[in-house]
This record gives sequence, C-alpha cells and structure tokens, in this order.
Amino acid sequence: MKLHGIGVGSMVYGVGYGFARPDFATAEVEAAADGSLTVWSGASELGQGLRTVLCQIAAQEFGTDYQDVRVVSADSEKTPDSGPVSASRSTYVQGNAVLQACRDLKEELRSLAAEMLKADPSTIEFSGGYVFSTTNPENSIAFHILTGQLHARGRRSHGFGWYDNHTEDVDKETSQGDAYSSFAWASQLAEIELDTETGEVTVLRIASATDVGKAINPKLVEGQIEGGAVQGLGFALLEDMKVERGVFKNSHFSTYILPTAADVPPIDPIIVEVPDPKGPYGAKGMAEPATIPTTPAILNAIADACGKWLKSTPAIPENILHLLGVLPDERKEALSIKDIPYPPF
Amino acid sequence: MDDTNYITMELTVNGRRVSKHCRSGRRLIDFLRDDLNLMGVKEGCGEGECGSCTVLLDGKAVLSCLTPMEKAIGHEVITIEGIGSANRLHPLQEAIIEEGGIQCGFCTPGMIMSGVELLARNPHPDRAEIIAAISGNLCRCTGYQKIVRSIEQAAQKMSSS
Ligand code: FES
Ligand code: FES
Repeated sequence: MKLHGIGVGSMVYGVGYGFARPDFATAEVEAAADGSLTVWSGASELGQGLRTVLCQIAAQEFGTDYQDVRVVSADSEKTPDSGPVSASRSTYVQGNAVLQACRDLKEELRSLAAEMLKADPSTIEFSGGYVFSTTNPENSIAFHILTGQLHARGRRSHGFGWYDNHTEDVDKETSQGDAYSSFAWASQLAEIELDTETGEVTVLRIASATDVGKAINPKLVEGQIEGGAVQGLGFALLEDMKVERGVFKNSHFSTYILPTAADVPPIDPIIVEVPDPKGPYGAKGMAEPATIPTTPAILNAIADACGKWLKSTPAIPENILHLLGVLPDERKEALSIKDIPYPPF
Repeated sequence: MDDTNYITMELTVNGRRVSKHCRSGRRLIDFLRDDLNLMGVKEGCGEGECGSCTVLLDGKAVLSCLTPMEKAIGHEVITIEGIGSANRLHPLQEAIIEEGGIQCGFCTPGMIMSGVELLARNPHPDRAEIIAAISGNLCRCTGYQKIVRSIEQAAQKMSSS
C-alpha cells in the first residue's frame, strides 16, 4: 500500500557565534587610479558565492560596475583575519566589514569630490559610475577620473573595515539577554509517499521558505536553499555515518549514500525578506537555516503517513519496516504517535 | 636499475594530436592531469563512484579514474578544456552560469561532460532523460534542479543556433 503524508519543519537560527564568543571580520578595499576596486576579505569562498556578494556590495557602495571589482579572499599571506566561514555568518559579518571598508574609503573620495566640485561633502553621492553633489547633479565627475585624481594628488586610496559581531551574552541564571546578534527563521513543507511493502520513502516535493533578511543575490540564495534541502533530504533518507573506534566504516560514496539527481524532488525555493537592522542592506545568514528544517519536515511527513514517529535517521526501508512492525523491532525504536503530544508542545 | 615501464601515448586530446613518452600503467586521469596539465579533470573519489572525472572517449562519457591510459591510445579524448574557451563558452557552460547550476564547481566539469554527451546523442532530452544522464554525477552543493535546467536551456540554445 502507498501512504501519503505531508510534514512541516521549522526552525530559528542564531546567526554567527553568539554568547559573547569572538565573532569578527576584517576587510580592506583599494581604489586603483583607473577606478577599479580590489577587496581583501579573510573569509573564504566555498561555492556559496561570497566573493560575488562582496563584489556586489563594493559596486553598490561606489556606484560602479560589478565587473570592476576584484576580490582577494582567504589567503593568510595577503588577507586579514576574518575567522572561519561557519555559523552562516559570512555575508553578515564579512559583508559588514567590506561595507565599513568601502565607507571608510568613501570618506576620502567624498572630501576630494567636494573640493573638485566645490560642494559640501555631505551632499556627495556615488551612482552609475559618476560622483556628484545632490545640489547640482548635472555637474558630475566620472568615478575613474576621481580615483585618478586621488592617486595623482597623493590622497588615501585605501579603506579599512573591522566588524565586531560579538554579543553581550545571556544571564546564566535566567538565560535572558543578548544571545545572538541576529536570528533567521525558516519553514519547510515536505510531501512524501511511503510504500508499506518495501519500506521505501519517496519525497515528492519540498517547499522551502527562508527568511534571508535581504537577498543580495537571489540566484545564489536559491542555490543555497535548494542545496540545503538536498542535504537535509540526504540526512533524512540516506546518509548514515558509521564510526567505530574513531574510524569511519563507510567512507566511500558506495557505502555512504548521497542523493543523486534521481533522488531529488522538485524544490520550491521561497525567499522571505524581513530586513535585519544590522545586516548589510538588511541581509541575514541563511545557509544552515535552509538545511535544518528539511529532515524534520520529511520525518513529520512520514509520521503523517503512517502514524508513527521514526526516532532516528536515516529513514531507509529497513528502518521504516521496523517502524511499521513488518520487521521485528529489536531496537524498540518505533514510537507510537500517541506517545508524543501532537503538536509536540 | 629503473624498472619503470614507459610507453608512447599517441592519441587526440581536445582536437590536438598528442604524442608523449611517459610512464605506463597509470589511469587516464593521471595522464590527463599530470602529463597534459588538464586540471579541469577532477578526482572526487578515484573509485568510479562520483563522476567528477568524466571525460569523453570517442564521444562516450567515461570515468577517467577507472580507465587505463593505454585504452585511449589511438582514440580521441575530450575534457572540459576542449569544449569551449573563456571567450567562447560551450552553450552548456553558458547555461550553467546563467541558471546558477554551479556552486563550489568540483562536480561541474564531470557534470558538463555528461551533459555534453547527452546533448550530442539526444538534442532534445526530456527531464527524465537529463536526470538519468547525470545521475552518476554526485553534487554536494546544489539541489541538482538548476543543473537540470541548465541542460534544458543548453538544448534550446543549441537547437536555435
Ligand atoms: S573520481 Fe572518477 S568517479 Fe570519482
Ligand atoms: S557544485 Fe559543489 S559539488 Fe557540485
């Protein structure tokens, strides 16, 4: 028999390290005489698209072309320390450091532009490759002319940024206080089919809504949401790391099973934007939030289908048949749906 | 005494005739990476399980980590370096960029070679055929669907050009 189920998984996630732990990033930016920009970032690119996002931030700040920004990242010989890329913190913390570095350099550019345009520095804007005073936008200087003058006149062409994301911590007695600087929220729906004869669970569809604050690059955000869902699906249905005495027993792709294209259902990435007051342009961390709800959503869908909760992952056919009582359940893992208050709080 | 055996590898790689005197008895991936410096051929597992080392041998997608190099003598090998260049990308490379079908990029050369082989033998694949063609290529970063869409988009680009 084929059973059908729908499950929800939701989470709240503290972005960064929180609890008074050191949490900072450093960045530098330089404007070359030709108007091109170089950003030095300590945080590394893993494929999440951080370099792209940092280029976008710098281009946005100086009102220049994305193509004219180059990022040097994660090379201890060249780049400043930004701590690890983890805790979904890089766009948030490194992004803010780059923003600061850009704004630091903009001060110098702004004062030079004000001299050249005979305007008040506070009225200077950077947009569309030009720098102008809002009092007289017709009279503008091309950005590369301004940076050329910066070098010709021996002015500062370098900006520095250091962003501190540490929080004050919570009260040990009451657990109240400042745990994390930002919280991200995510919720996912999974629809599954469970074959009671074979124990196979097939995920038919996943909808994944993640609060990203602001999607600086929506395509990259979708990539994180879709990839996160597939990792969560792997955790729910396939992946089982077996360690004995510190040795991995299944460290091959034929024994530790990852989802392939054939295992993945259609995934609807839903970008929710609730701006974070401290994030760069309102952005929050979103990588892990996109992964965390998938597994509970799938396990809840299994419970919805068969009325029983699997207590451990992965939901391989053997474990499902144990759960359904088709196979003798030596491990006593099947938990009746009546044993758990539903909803579970 | 040096008991290493040598061999002359004569074959076509990415459209060029290659003749190279080198150590024999290695895998095709070693010859391509170590002797020809074709670093786009990635070794994810070295045991035929991930697809990242996929290259075309006489137009057929093969795992270069499981292929003895001698098997390529007299044949034609195409790697990711041979399907397009930085200024003239292959339509599938273009589509991968446009759709965002790439994150860390480690699976990407193998993924693209599987896609290129599919599009050569089946210019209008449906979704199920695309999924079947890349189901031997593992990706840990993406959700696969942007890669599937890239191949669909490439098929469109190639049929309209
Ligand atoms: S490296 Fe050849 S299949 Fe993994
Ligand atoms: S993009 Fe990283 S493995 Fe596919």
